Amino acid sequence: MTPHTRKSLEFLLDNLVWFMLIVVLALFSALIPNYFQIGIFTNIIEASSVLGVMSIGLALVIITGHMDLSVESVAALSAMAVGILFCSAGIGLGIKLSPEWLMIPASLLVACAIGGLIGLFNGFLVVKLKMSAFIITLASFIWVRGIVLAVSGGRSAQDLDPAIRWFAIERFAGIPLSAWIAIGCFLIFSIMMAKTPFGRHLIMIGGNETAAYRAGIRVTRNLIIAFVMAGAIAGLAGWLLAVRTSGATANLGVGLLFNAFAAVVIGGVSLKGGVGALPGVYAGVLLLSSINTAINLMGLPANYTQVIHGFLVLAAVLLDTFKQRLRQRLA
Amino acid sequence: MKRIVISLLSVLVLGLSMLTTAAAQSKGVVYYLVPTLLDEFQSGSVSALQMFLKQTGYEMKTLNADNKTDAQQSQMNDIIALKPAAIILAAVDFNALKPSIEAARAAGIPVVEFDRQITSTPSDFTSVAGTIEIGHVAADQAEAMLKAKHGDVKGKVLQVLGDPGDPYTLDIQKGFEEKMKAFPGVTIVSVPALMWEASNAGTIVSDQMLANPDIDLIFPHAAHLSVAAVASLESAGKKPGDIMMMSSNGAPVGLDLIRKGWLNTEVEQPLYAQAAAVAMFMDKIVGKQEIKAGDYDVLGLKGVVTIEAWGPNIKIPGAAITSDNVDDPAFWGNMKPPTAAVKSVE
Repeated sequence: MTPHTRKSLEFLLDNLVWFMLIVVLALFSALIPNYFQIGIFTNIIEASSVLGVMSIGLALVIITGHMDLSVESVAALSAMAVGILFCSAGIGLGIKLSPEWLMIPASLLVACAIGGLIGLFNGFLVVKLKMSAFIITLASFIWVRGIVLAVSGGRSAQDLDPAIRWFAIERFAGIPLSAWIAIGCFLIFSIMMAKTPFGRHLIMIGGNETAAYRAGIRVTRNLIIAFVMAGAIAGLAGWLLAVRTSGATANLGVGLLFNAFAAVVIGGVSLKGGVGALPGVYAGVLLLSSINTAINLMGLPANYTQVIHGFLVLAAVLLDTFKQRLRQRLA
Repeated sequence: MKRIVISLLSVLVLGLSMLTTAAAQSKGVVYYLVPTLLDEFQSGSVSALQMFLKQTGYEMKTLNADNKTDAQQSQMNDIIALKPAAIILAAVDFNALKPSIEAARAAGIPVVEFDRQITSTPSDFTSVAGTIEIGHVAADQAEAMLKAKHGDVKGKVLQVLGDPGDPYTLDIQKGFEEKMKAFPGVTIVSVPALMWEASNAGTIVSDQMLANPDIDLIFPHAAHLSVAAVASLESAGKKPGDIMMMSSNGAPVGLDLIRKGWLNTEVEQPLYAQAAAVAMFMDKIVGKQEIKAGDYDVLGLKGVVTIEAWGPNIKIPGAAITSDNVDDPAFWGNMKPPTAAVKSVE
């Protein structure tokens, strides 16, 4: 194999999920009536904003060699808190701040602080007390959703204040501002992971925790920060969820966790830790969103939707596995 | 010191005696197995049943199955061992609970089906609005709306189902579509919102409004899905009244959307009446007395009891809520429980 061919192949493998996305979009555009239009592509980007942001936090923790199953419930609790405080109907208290724009940082602060605190709790138990991340965050997944139910009493908060809803309604270059927030998050955290010592330390910790420790990296501190960041980012995803649906219901965000895991894995992040980059995760999120949109437009019988959804995700993950094997052969 | 101890003991004895009296006044404990507390109808059903059963002398305890059939089966088995006065079941799965119902009844515990009708095995009482009938009422409303818009019953309807694994939404779909079959000019596009999750409904509406811009009417199967659907319409620059909308179950958020002009109709499940009917007949159910067929006044609504193969069945029809009657306190979505106490049927 010539160096040029090898380089081309490696480029292809590094960006396989983006190529998969292009192929899938081309296929759906050719086969599904009404799929090929700017509005649908905008919808795909917009619909992937919540899942995208949530996947960033999840990816950060997975790259460190741990996992956080609580992100879905954390997002739901943050959404419910924002809903209760800033919605005017249902169980919303309709709190107003003057000037109105203050409600944006205030609601963001509430959402991210809730997430950050739960992340800190998870991180402390996992890192300091050496408890299993799977069990601790699974417990958080359950008790946090329980709190959502307890504080809402099963009821909804509706009519989010227009000052906050503005992010879902206003558009820039045809894309809602909420989606730009997700894109911005991917840019910022991608740079953080690739270009800052902290990001590189997280990858090194995920690759070999002991070696990272011996190299002088503050493993405990960095891991706890990763959990706090995952929680706060999940809180931001919850804020976006409330903005998108103009409020919150007790079951808001149910099922997002599995999609977030699928997106992270499709995006090339290894569940064993130490491998992965956030641009790939964004491509994974867009891929899933494209599939969902295709299913929505195909008008398939309701009973088969989940089967098709599952198989399409499986196909994407199998392709990713094929990519990994090919990469091993090249090495 | 001695006096203080004696005083404390006296208070304790007095408290215990009051508790005993309260227990003696109760006719027994009734367990309510609610399928989930993640929607407003179900959480509302807990407080409504508790209130009406208390008025007829029963204490109610609730167990939540979190939409898991196996969890509800385990709950049934546990409750059978406690030998309560009765079990009220709103089944997660209409058929999977059949063996548990049979086991409870074999143990002498009456079983009442609430909201979700089980026809595959006998129960002691069933109180439903009828999910298929809700679909029929919705179809009547759709017929009227499409006729008012086009002068004829034709056009395109986007039906946003709940989770495709939930028989509740599939029954509404069945009822709606079987009545709409009479109008070949109506195209129905049906898409499920997985897990009844609101943002899924929002995505469906965004996508379908682009793929089918000629949609005349959107019909989400629950009010909380309508909230997300409206949010998507709003984001797409639509105003109240641009697209006709209706939904079902009559939750408070749905009524709010009617007041704001987004929703034309909400097909209400008569939650209070359904719950009151259970309380009215509880003495007969627990006493294993005959429940006679006929018409009964349930909170001012006409409930019809029929004796079916699966036992006595009361059906209280759902009502259509529009801007004309949205403030009627009889609708449970207005969160004004009836002030008059229900009485047991003699």
